[in-house]
Amino acid sequence: MSIRLTDISKRFGAFTALTDINLTARPGEFLALLGPSGSGKTTLLRIIAGLEFPERGTVHFEGSDITGLSVAERRIGFVFQQYALFKHMTVAENIGFGLSVRPRRERPSRRAIRARAQELLDLVQLGDLGNRLPAQLSGGQRQRVALARALAVDPTLLLLDEPFGALDAKVRKELRHWLRGFHDRVGLTSIFVTHDQGEALEVADRVVVMSNGAIEQIGTPAEVYDAPANAFVFDFVGESNRIPVTAADGKAIFRGSALDVDANGVRGPGELFFRPHDARIGSVDEVGIDAIVSLVRPREGRVRVESAIDGVSGPIELDVAPDAAPTPGQAIRIVPTRARVFADRIAGARAA
Amino acid sequence: MTRGAASTPLARAALLGIALAFLGVFLVAPLVAVFAEALSKGFAAYGAALIERDALSAVRLTLLVAAISVPLNIVFGLAASWAIAKFDFRGKSVLITLIDLPFSVSPVVSGLIYVLLFGAQGWFGPWLRAHDVEIIFAVPGLVLATMFITFPFVARELIPLMQEQGRDDEEAALSLGASGWQTFRRVTLPNIRWGLLYGVLLCNARAMGEFGAVSVVSGHIRGKTNTMPLHVEILYNEYNFAAAFAVASLLALLALVTLTLKSILEWRYGIHGRTGY
Repeated sequence: MSIRLTDISKRFGAFTALTDINLTARPGEFLALLGPSGSGKTTLLRIIAGLEFPERGTVHFEGSDITGLSVAERRIGFVFQQYALFKHMTVAENIGFGLSVRPRRERPSRRAIRARAQELLDLVQLGDLGNRLPAQLSGGQRQRVALARALAVDPTLLLLDEPFGALDAKVRKELRHWLRGFHDRVGLTSIFVTHDQGEALEVADRVVVMSNGAIEQIGTPAEVYDAPANAFVFDFVGESNRIPVTAADGKAIFRGSALDVDANGVRGPGELFFRPHDARIGSVDEVGIDAIVSLVRPREGRVRVESAIDGVSGPIELDVAPDAAPTPGQAIRIVPTRARVFADRIAGARAA
Repeated sequence: MTRGAASTPLARAALLGIALAFLGVFLVAPLVAVFAEALSKGFAAYGAALIERDALSAVRLTLLVAAISVPLNIVFGLAASWAIAKFDFRGKSVLITLIDLPFSVSPVVSGLIYVLLFGAQGWFGPWLRAHDVEIIFAVPGLVLATMFITFPFVARELIPLMQEQGRDDEEAALSLGASGWQTFRRVTLPNIRWGLLYGVLLCNARAMGEFGAVSVVSGHIRGKTNTMPLHVEILYNEYNFAAAFAVASLLALLALVTLTLKSILEWRYGIHGRTGY
C-alpha cells in the first residue's frame, strides 16, 4: 500500500513537534524514520497510525484521505517499543486478540483463531511457545510475538516504533537481519522509527533523516551516507570530523592553505566534514591539516587514530592501515580524500 | 567494630520491642478488650444483643449503605482514574485535588454539607419537602454522606497504578481493532484487577465503619436510620456496655477480615508486580 503525507504539522501545547512534513512511501517499501530524540519521528509514526492527529495536513493511504480515521479503522499493524503485550494472556491469546475482538459476524471461530495464531507463531519461528505467558519469554521473543500479533489482523501497513530499542546488542543485530528478511518475504509496506543510524542504513530501503520536527533528507542508505544533504545529516548518519574552514575561489581553505576539496558552492565561513575512513596521513610536502596524535587503537582490521588540532574542539579521527599507524605525540598531516564543505549555519546567520 | 557488632542485635531487639509494645498497647489490647467486654455477660447475652431488633436493623442498614455506595464508588473511581491516567485534559490537576478533598475535610463537615443542602432549613429543603422527598435523617442522606467520605479510596488506588502502566496496552488493543469497551474489559480491567479489589476492600471497610459524617445526617432514629457505628454509640451512652461491645465486635471482626484479605491481596499483588515487565 502507498502512503502520502502532505504538509503535516503537529504541536503539543507550545512545543512544535512537526512542521510541514511531506513524505511518500511506495507499496512494499521498507522506510526508516531516523533522527535524534525529540526530532518528531515517533510523533510522525503515530500520526500515520492514527494514534495521534495532525493540526494541519493530510494522510492518504492508497490515494484516499484517511486523516480523520481512528487507529482501529486504518487496518495497520503497530509494534510498540516496549511490545505492549497483554500480560495476562498467553502468547497465542495475544496473537489472536485482534481477531477475537471483531464483531460477531466477522469473527472467525475459536478454532480458526487458534490456527491462525499457530500459523503466525510458525512464521515468526516461535512455533511451540503459544501457551507461555509474555513474562516467560526473552526480549527478542516478545518482540516477535508483538510482530505476529500485529500481523494477525492482516494489516495493509506495518509500523514499528524503535523495534530493537529494548534489546541487547547481539539480539538486536540478529533481529535486524531477521526483520529485513521477513519484510522481503511478506512484502508489506513497513515504516520503522530508530535513532540508530546503523540500523536504518542496514535495514531500510530508504531513510528519512529528521531533526527538530522537519525532514532533513530522504534517500537510499547509500545516498544519505555518501551524499548527505547538509551538515546535520553528515554528522548524524555515520561518524564524521568537523573542521572550520573558509571557502574562497571554489576551494576550502584551512589556515591559509587551500585544500584539495571543492567548496560545494559555499562562500565565506564554512565547515569541512569528512568521515574517518575518508582521510589519510600525508607527507610533509602535501597540503593538509596539521594535527598531533593523541590516541592509537586497533579497530576492525584498521587502526583508529585520534588527533588534536590546535584551536579546534574535539578529536579528529581517521582510520589508517596498521602498518601506517603513527604513535601518540607524533605530528601528522591529515589529507582528506573525500570531504564536503557546508556553510556554517551559525556563523552564516551571524554574518547575515 | 566489636562494639558495633554487639550493639546491632541489641538495637534491633530494642526497636522490635518498642514496635511490639506499641502494637500491643494501641491495637491488640483494645481488640481484646472489645471481645472481652462483649462476652463479659456470657455467650447468650452476646447472641441476644446481636439478634435484638434494633441491632439487626443497624446491621441491615449498614450493609444496604455499603451495597449502594461501594458499587457507585467503583464506577466513579474507575471513570476518574481512567480519565486521569489515560487522557490529557485541562483541569486534570483540579480533578485530582477534588478527589483528595474528602481526605482533608473533617467527616463532620462532610455531613454538615448535606444538611445545609438538603436539610429542612437547607437550600433544597423546601423544594424537597414540597415533593415529599426525604434525604436528611433517611437512607439517601446516609448513602450520600458515605459516598462522599469513601470516594477517594478506589480512585486513589487506581490512579498511580494506571499511570505507571501507561497507555501502550490500550493503544495496542485499539490498533488491533478493539472497541473502547472491549479494550477496557479485556485489557485495562485485567491489568488493574488486584489494585481495584484492594481499593474496593478499603472502601467497603470505611463505608461500613464511617461514623462522623453519617452521624450528622442520620438523626439517630432507632431501628430506622442507625448504622452499626451509630448503634454502638447509642448503646454505650445508655450504659448498655455488653450490647455496645457485642455490636462493636462485629465491626472489629470486619476489620480483621479486611486486614486478612488485604494481606492476601498484597501478597498476590506483590507477586504480580514482580513478574510484570
